[in-house]
Amino acid sequence: MSIYIQSASHISIQKPLSEAWMELPIVPDSAFMKSEEPDYKPFISPMEARRMGTLVKRALATSLDTLRKGGCEMPDAIISGTGLGCVEHTEKFLNAVIDNDEECLPPTSFMQSTHNTISSQIALRLKCHGYNSTYSHRGTSFDSALFDAFMQLSLGKIGTALVGAHDEMTPDYFLMLSKLDYWKMDFCHLGQLRKGEGRGSISGSCSLSMLLSSQKQENALCELKDVELIYRPGILQSRHAINEVLLRNNLSLKDIDAVVMGLSGDCDNDDVYHELKHHIFQNVPTLWYKQMFGEGFSSSSFGVYVGAVCLRVGRIPQHLFYFPEEAAMFQKEPRNILVYNHFQDRDHSIILLTK
Amino acid sequence: MEQLIEELKKEIIEVLNLEGMTPADIDENAPLFGEGLGLDSIDALELIVLMEKNYGIKLQNANEGKEIFKSVRVMAEYINAHRTK
Repeated sequence: MSIYIQSASHISIQKPLSEAWMELPIVPDSAFMKSEEPDYKPFISPMEARRMGTLVKRALATSLDTLRKGGCEMPDAIISGTGLGCVEHTEKFLNAVIDNDEECLPPTSFMQSTHNTISSQIALRLKCHGYNSTYSHRGTSFDSALFDAFMQLSLGKIGTALVGAHDEMTPDYFLMLSKLDYWKMDFCHLGQLRKGEGRGSISGSCSLSMLLSSQKQENALCELKDVELIYRPGILQSRHAINEVLLRNNLSLKDIDAVVMGLSGDCDNDDVYHELKHHIFQNVPTLWYKQMFGEGFSSSSFGVYVGAVCLRVGRIPQHLFYFPEEAAMFQKEPRNILVYNHFQDRDHSIILLTK
Repeated sequence: MEQLIEELKKEIIEVLNLEGMTPADIDENAPLFGEGLGLDSIDALELIVLMEKNYGIKLQNANEGKEIFKSVRVMAEYINAHRTK
């Protein structure tokens, strides 16, 4: 059974609901970048929106935009990945608990603060009674959601799935994480990320929705060939898993035009990718995306998104190459892209995309 | 009473996040639920919390709500008669 990424839509640091990042990426200039909000009126009425937090509004807008682009009115399944769910409402509720001495707590913030609010709000809006699930596995939430959709589509249990990755970065949460060296607080130019020196990266809120389908439609982004999740692999296990994925899809490393990695500028995070590059991907051009979309629990989804858009367009823009010398040598139209992400060198994911 | 009605309208707009609405847009005699503002059961919970937090009124009987939340004016009259702060 073939599975296709039919369409995708995002709200992030980059121009929302747009692929403008391919030509004119917004270059971050601080460690905390606010996402650019689209006009929500075409997606959500003011009466509906009044109870929704920012993240739910973003999730609804990207979901509805993706479904429209993919020509699907009702997906068979809605599967979301979110590391922390609706943090904005969680903060509101917890602040009210403190301010009001655990009394007179606002019901709306409580209801909206749960992780599965996102998937359920999408289902309510679509009146979708199909499979509805939320994965909350920190940095591999999206990968788990994608794996679930991939398995169900492969087994023929569903024909379409709306898969999302949604996380927001609030100023308070950003400050908390800064105390754990999550961010390069002195960040002012991309060179600091490429060097990969010291702890920390730049933050990014993420709302990304993609429509998967077992039927190829016109304008599909690419085929989702394989998804593999591995736990605490060493370099040998990673090599073995990559080879297994390639082998069962009748490919070899020579066929891979580029590998998308979650390089972020954090030395601990990037060391894992540098080791992979050194031992496995010496001859495969390396692409990165966190310099454009930032780091967050859902950011791995942008690796898949970036790879998928490049395959549909048939071109990899220069600014996606981690090593400038590889950009200069790369001339061909990409046909096979491997996406490799890891979270704290514990959960690794390998995702194979083909044209 | 008129001052309390104005204050209550502002609080309702804030707590129910009625974006784009001003106190002048709310008819104090119009029904809050169904017609009029078209509020729902979750809004009713928010209004109960509002009454307790801002005016010290604890509603003991859920059925009372039907009468109290008929309109902003009825709500203000109830608050005026029962407020403890």
